[in-house]
Amino acid sequence: MMTVLFTMIRREIQEHKLAFIYAPFAVALVLCLVIASVYFGITDIQTNEFNFSTEIYDEEYQEGMLLASPEAKARVIRAGLIVLGLPILLTVGFGLLAYSLSTFADERKDRSLIFWRSMPVSDLTTVLSKLLFVIFVVPLLVLPNIILLQSVAMLSASIYFVTNDIVSFGYLWTSYFITDWFRIIFSLWAQALWGLPIFLWLMFAGTYARRPLVGAAVPIVVTIVLEGIIFKTNVVLEFIENRLGFWSRADSFPVASDEIRVVDISDIFLMLSTQAFWIGMLACIILVAGIVYTRSTNNDYTVE
Amino acid sequence: MSSDLVIKASEVIKSYEGNNALDGINLEVASGQILGLIGPNGAGKSTFLQTVLGLINTEGNLEVLGLDPRKDRHKLLKDVCSITDVAVLPKWMTVDQVLTYVNGVHPGFNLQKCLSILSRTNIKRSSKIKILSRGMVVQLHLSIVMAINAKLLVLDEPTLGLDLVYRKEFYSQLIEDYYDGNKTILISTHQVEEIEGVLSDAVFMNQGRVVMQDSIESINKKFLELRPNQESVEKAQALGPLHHRTELGREVFLYEDADINELNGIGEVRPPVIADLFIAIMEKTRKEVEL
Repeated sequence: MMTVLFTMIRREIQEHKLAFIYAPFAVALVLCLVIASVYFGITDIQTNEFNFSTEIYDEEYQEGMLLASPEAKARVIRAGLIVLGLPILLTVGFGLLAYSLSTFADERKDRSLIFWRSMPVSDLTTVLSKLLFVIFVVPLLVLPNIILLQSVAMLSASIYFVTNDIVSFGYLWTSYFITDWFRIIFSLWAQALWGLPIFLWLMFAGTYARRPLVGAAVPIVVTIVLEGIIFKTNVVLEFIENRLGFWSRADSFPVASDEIRVVDISDIFLMLSTQAFWIGMLACIILVAGIVYTRSTNNDYTVE
Repeated sequence: MSSDLVIKASEVIKSYEGNNALDGINLEVASGQILGLIGPNGAGKSTFLQTVLGLINTEGNLEVLGLDPRKDRHKLLKDVCSITDVAVLPKWMTVDQVLTYVNGVHPGFNLQKCLSILSRTNIKRSSKIKILSRGMVVQLHLSIVMAINAKLLVLDEPTLGLDLVYRKEFYSQLIEDYYDGNKTILISTHQVEEIEGVLSDAVFMNQGRVVMQDSIESINKKFLELRPNQESVEKAQALGPLHHRTELGREVFLYEDADINELNGIGEVRPPVIADLFIAIMEKTRKEVEL
């Protein structure tokens, strides 16, 4: 069973390396180049809303850096590193939505489903392999890019600070730098679990709809409209909005989070204690059953 | 040849919107048979093969290798291989990737054997499937299937759309390198003339029913085709042929259970080709229904 799952997951990685290996790496690489260029004085970015240049390190700022408490310093550095990784996470997030919509639709479209189904692999195993890919593997593929980006940012900034006599080289390198990578990976796994109902819904549409995007969107839009007209509520819409956002900032999360911060492992247990999480898991079980049933019975290979 | 039953179908029915694609199929296939499913479009051949592979639900009783294909599909597929459409290998994969995949999920797959078969072709392991010609994709698929130690091989129009060279190669490779007397092969194709030399048994299907099932050996004994001499045409007609046709201006009669000695005296006698026999049987069935 483990060999089969390993093989199936490797197949997913091979098929979707563009979305989950090349695209995040390209984004990380561009960000690394931009950051290094700014710190080495080659360029800067100044817009009305965003200012990223070494000019911010004026005398007042430098004084603040020297006077900052270790806690305040760590908080700012950690938050900054998290923000740096957001473009990569957004890229992978869109990649996951596209993957979910296409993974079962593409195999119908190119009729490779006939080949996959000629192998001694149950539909449930196939669905489980795709779930494991989304929940556990994709975050693992993303992490090296975040590590690369954070390392380049820290190194560039440290070289800048030491060569300009602002602070010592080791100023930025708090003990959190490496341990936060573990928090990030756990957080990404939690994020994938949190958003799983959305991914599974898109996968379900791919198993039956001739136009998967229409098949995924129309039932949801109709439900939202009917719910608004009949019950004057918007539970479905809020559910979707919540699931598309960060799990630690969801309405149902027990601790309000006003600032950008690195989540702690204990936050994941808080998520597991919420009713909203388990409602999502129940929806996942129903959707997995639906996907297995539809994939095993639908012999319509027409996908537009 | 072993008498173990590989397939046992009893009153298998499949309906689509009120029409019976399979209308009470009764069929037994023994181990070691190379059985051809022969019939016109809409006869139910593909539907039956999909049923055998557990891809569609049917009424009635069906056992394949002692298992219910619908309930135990993935267990069954450890011993059953199939090519049910042409060029369905995933185009994004390389040859190496698809071989590694099959090696990882199929306990009966022999990678070395597959590589040895592939080495006799022009297919490169690093090639993407999408750049291979249709014939090469079928060759690759056949190489994979031949390297799987399966008890039953199901082929549904495996050479459709391929040119003559690839079609000939496909069947000769299948028989020379794959068939060992114990494996059972189920073939459905429109190109009957290309497979009749390899079949041990034939099943004629029409409108979702089995019209006739027999071994080729028995068919060749039971049915005889006569091209009578010019002066013996009336005599040939008087012997009560099953079917009569004209071929390039010459009369051809088909007989069932006729005395070969009697026929030998009035013309050239030989076993009929499967396609002609099928047409004759269909006509006979149609006349019986009309009566």
